[in-house]
Amino acid sequence: MSEANPYRPIKTEVLDVITETPTIKTLRLQPGEPIFFQTGQFIELTVPGVGEAPFTPSSRPSRKDVLEVTIMRVGKVTEKIHQLKKGDTVGLRGPFGNGYPLEEFKGREVLVVGGGCGFAPLRSLMYSLFEISGELKKLSFRGGCKNPEEFLYRGEIAEWSKRKDLDIELTVDKGDKNWKGKVGLVTVIIDSVDMDYKTGIGIVCGPPIMMKFATRKLMEMGFRDKNIYLSMEKNMSCGIGKCGHCRIGNYYACKDGPVFSYDKIKDFHEIWD
Amino acid sequence: MVYISAGNLRRLLDILQDDYGVYIPVKKGEQRFYRRYDGALDDFVIGEVRAFEPLKAFFTRAREKVAEGFGQDVPHAQDKPLAVVGVKACDLKGFKVQDHVFADHDFQDPLYIKNRRENLIISADCTCVLDTCFCCALGVTPFPTENYDINLSAVRGGYLVDAASEKGRALIAKHKSLFQEAKREQEGDRDRQRARVKAQVEENIKREGVPVQDRFGGIIERNLESKMWEEEAKACVECGACTIICPTCHCFLLYDQKDEERMARLRVWDSCMFKGYARVAGGANPRPKLWMRLRNRFDKKFNFFPKVADFYACTGCGRCISACPAKIDIRKVLKRLVNNV
Repeated sequence: MSEANPYRPIKTEVLDVITETPTIKTLRLQPGEPIFFQTGQFIELTVPGVGEAPFTPSSRPSRKDVLEVTIMRVGKVTEKIHQLKKGDTVGLRGPFGNGYPLEEFKGREVLVVGGGCGFAPLRSLMYSLFEISGELKKLSFRGGCKNPEEFLYRGEIAEWSKRKDLDIELTVDKGDKNWKGKVGLVTVIIDSVDMDYKTGIGIVCGPPIMMKFATRKLMEMGFRDKNIYLSMEKNMSCGIGKCGHCRIGNYYACKDGPVFSYDKIKDFHEIWD
Repeated sequence: MVYISAGNLRRLLDILQDDYGVYIPVKKGEQRFYRRYDGALDDFVIGEVRAFEPLKAFFTRAREKVAEGFGQDVPHAQDKPLAVVGVKACDLKGFKVQDHVFADHDFQDPLYIKNRRENLIISADCTCVLDTCFCCALGVTPFPTENYDINLSAVRGGYLVDAASEKGRALIAKHKSLFQEAKREQEGDRDRQRARVKAQVEENIKREGVPVQDRFGGIIERNLESKMWEEEAKACVECGACTIICPTCHCFLLYDQKDEERMARLRVWDSCMFKGYARVAGGANPRPKLWMRLRNRFDKKFNFFPKVADFYACTGCGRCISACPAKIDIRKVLKRLVNNV
């Protein structure tokens, strides 16, 4: 009999590497043992001999055999991840934490606000919401990015725009000659959504500065604190609330989050930093 | 209550070596350091005060392997469990925090659980105090009351022995020829000594004006914006000694290394005082300044733990005071926090 070891990664094969933007790649992974995750939960990805880093899968959770993570090259581990090729071996631990409470969204109007690399976890969320869109009162997406080249999943998002069950609008900080969408920060296109803000759900994921201003905007519009869901980026390491790094007030992002409703964390200092 | 003579305790330590790696404090200069007992060691100290190293070092090692390759097994390095002798009450309070983190919390840590289950704790009453001792302010007495297997109280010629666990009772029963019934006057001696040492700690507290824990409620929230954090952190050199040496601090860092052909995952103690502690990939750092990290250290001890676990993560052992090259004094910080109304 072997005891469960929470620090042991599962041997995982890299099935494919997709270049999304100059700094972002998506890895298609096949874990040696099935990993069942809920949208919004995260995993720790190990590059053998280099280290591990936390990512929220960008693929739909209903696909059990293959999992995708979309990764921006920003540090030591992600630098190595970007060098991975088809057939390489990596490790996975998880899933960890709490995902989005999909059951609570049923019967409600849902607005998803994404910025930059925040599109990665939101892609997983959007596919999960599409699967239950018949049970949602309304589904809207507002996404923003620095410029058109940095838009993730352009092909897929073009498909989303044709969906009848989705109200979608996109913006870039700075457009180019081919860009036909809005220009400006994502916060300026949020209030074009036609819904009852007092009862609606607002979900925000993106860089910290964008999350801060988008949350502020949602509150101004009338969204209730408890109806705003944030995916918090902290330095998650152990994934099980022991190593201490990802503390937010009375919580650990790794086990109590990374998805928090705003009312739970709004009174703690340092949440946006 | 039973009694063991000093000679028989030595015999017991000799016997324990069959089943345990036995560690016992030895005095060097003004400090006491744990050494491996090998039968020949004879300058050990059972009583006196806490050792230099915190007890947690025997339960989560400063650096240890937690996974090898993709293998299922939990690596357990030691061949024998450990018997730690002469442990003081302040370190035993550290178990409250360590157990909460590694054993009682939603997820259990298999390495810690094994060490906790198998290691033997032979604690002892303090027989003197250091200037930095202030355990009574944190509701700890300088004699163990819980979390030990057997406890030794120095009396003339030997020790009164008290068991607080099945393991401890079984140990006494197994070696009953080494023990005698305690005499009533020995118990009187013990009680007088306990009262004397407790009075000395209380004298320390009074001299330094250390507030007692009943007054700690809300001290962090009340002082979040205080200038005192910057003032206190001014001399800090970010060495991390205060957290490494603390019996309650539990933070660690996971890192991977190539162990010859096999990948190994290690965990090493980490410190929230280090700049990179909370930094995320890409460089964003919630606590870029030292004073923010000092505030966070106190927030964790005196705000987080009482909220999630109903105790303060400080034992009054005073190690962080003597370890700090910048002379940052937790007693003084607590005094300022309490008095800033």
